[in-house]
Amino acid sequence: MNDQIIFEDVSKFYGEVLGVNRISLTIPPGITTLVGPNGSGKTTLMNLMTGLVQPSSGRISVVGLSPSNSPELFRILGYCTQFDSFPRGITGWQFVFDSLMLQGMSETEAVQLTIESLERVQLGDAAGRKIAGYSKGMRQKVRLAQAIAHHPRVLVLDEPLNGLDPMARAESIALFQELGRQGMHLLISSHILDEVDRISDRVVLITGGYLIAEGSIQQVRQEVREKPMQVLIRCDRPALLASRMFAINHCVEARLHADGRGVFLRTADIDQFYSILNGIAAEGLVKIEAVAPADDDASAIYQYLIGSDGSAL
Amino acid sequence: MSVYKHNYRAYAGKITPAWTRVLVLAKYGFAEAWSSKITVGLFTLCLLPPIVFLFGIYLANNPLARALIGSRESRVMVVDARLFLVILQIQSWFALALSSWIAPRLITFDLADNALPILLSHPISRFGYVFGKSIALFTSLSVVTWVPGLLLFTYQSYSSPIPWAAANLHIATGLLAGAVIWVALLSILGLALSSWVKWRVVATGAIFAAVFVPAGVGAIVTGVLRTKWGFLLNIPFMMSLLWRRLLGAPESATVRYSLPTGAIAVMLVLACFICAAMLNARIRAREVVRG
Repeated sequence: MNDQIIFEDVSKFYGEVLGVNRISLTIPPGITTLVGPNGSGKTTLMNLMTGLVQPSSGRISVVGLSPSNSPELFRILGYCTQFDSFPRGITGWQFVFDSLMLQGMSETEAVQLTIESLERVQLGDAAGRKIAGYSKGMRQKVRLAQAIAHHPRVLVLDEPLNGLDPMARAESIALFQELGRQGMHLLISSHILDEVDRISDRVVLITGGYLIAEGSIQQVRQEVREKPMQVLIRCDRPALLASRMFAINHCVEARLHADGRGVFLRTADIDQFYSILNGIAAEGLVKIEAVAPADDDASAIYQYLIGSDGSAL
Repeated sequence: MSVYKHNYRAYAGKITPAWTRVLVLAKYGFAEAWSSKITVGLFTLCLLPPIVFLFGIYLANNPLARALIGSRESRVMVVDARLFLVILQIQSWFALALSSWIAPRLITFDLADNALPILLSHPISRFGYVFGKSIALFTSLSVVTWVPGLLLFTYQSYSSPIPWAAANLHIATGLLAGAVIWVALLSILGLALSSWVKWRVVATGAIFAAVFVPAGVGAIVTGVLRTKWGFLLNIPFMMSLLWRRLLGAPESATVRYSLPTGAIAVMLVLACFICAAMLNARIRAREVVRG
């Protein structure tokens, strides 16, 4: 189990304030996204994992290492904090280079890795400029560069897409996906739910310091049984299909697609719904072109489990 | 579930020893300390007294030079433990001024800029961080205290017409020990107070206050209770006694009270422990507290 990140009944209290409460999680390699409202405990979870704060109780293991063993841990872990802050007066190059020297690289190796990581985040041309003169997106990139520069096995990124323009965001996502595919651990916190859908192998939903759900987005959505699932069916006669489906008592909502070539149906029993849909398709009255879940995305899960006001439902 | 190719290769090359990584932080510290023109100005000012004393020692050992400047005295000054005590005292108070300017630059910038989480997200401990910063401060203060003191000692040894160094070696060791104790105390005190004060100017004032305010309180305690133990709060007094004893200079006839060396040592160690506790409480990655 040495390739997993494990939280065992972890709690963190800041005095009387709850940080996170009794979190138990096992995170395999790939991209895992932490989703939750502001103050939900995402950063606390990341700080616990990186040993920057100590748990009040419970045990954490990061690919077999304890976070309290920071010299060993930070050799295999890169952390990109959410703070838009840097040591004063240094250039992007110095920031990444000095970071590598702190990692214990030789000067020759640090130079080589600095070039590589700055180019990887498309910051090679601006490397010689002072960070104070960087745009917010560039500062985000240089933080990412220092986090990946030493080739860590685990990458912890706190809100890495904030402040990036669409182009830079796409480049960063492509980089995360590439690293995730290669078997690296990426733990990312994000508020941008559309992008959570695109990049995540798994999501961890957290609010008020409590773990609400974890798993792949589809798995989590299927577990939320009390919320009827919405399905988009592309077909030639959507009105007829809607009327047939409404004859079944667990179909609770129907809405025609704007282009008139499909219908959104909401059902309380997805298994039976698909079975009946099969029957209708076999009858040949309606020519069905496509069937796809319409609300098994991060945004819908967030709404169902956490709610728009951030309080768990 | 994704299909992972697992072809990512983590870094597996050689790693430098931990102490060399501390030097990276020391380098940061030097850059932060010496990027100010005021630091350079203060440093220049600190080197003026040793230059004056150098000239004095030259004259003391050179009758021809004395004649050239028209001095009729056979000796301009007596080069002994008392002279090196004066040099150490002057340089030590300059060091206090320099540390009150440099120390806040080393820590408060990182605290104000929230740079600690980034710096501590490396294979370096909080102790390593403080140690790296204190190397920068200790070295800067050393350059104005024991380094010029020992250079003057060396010059006196070289220029004295009679064998001098061997008979006065205790002055060199006393000067080195006294200055190192003071510089170490100033370093930890400066860093500890800077870590608790957000504004640099206030931190500068706090360092002076930490040295002189307890001395005032100690004087009140001594006056009211008619006891010498109030001087245990008086850092300048304690250091003055300690330096005098380390250099082997005679006790001043005007000083009414004295303190045992052991009591002074205990107080200095206690001050260092308090500073270490302050640093331990403050130097950590920012904890985000949910409101």
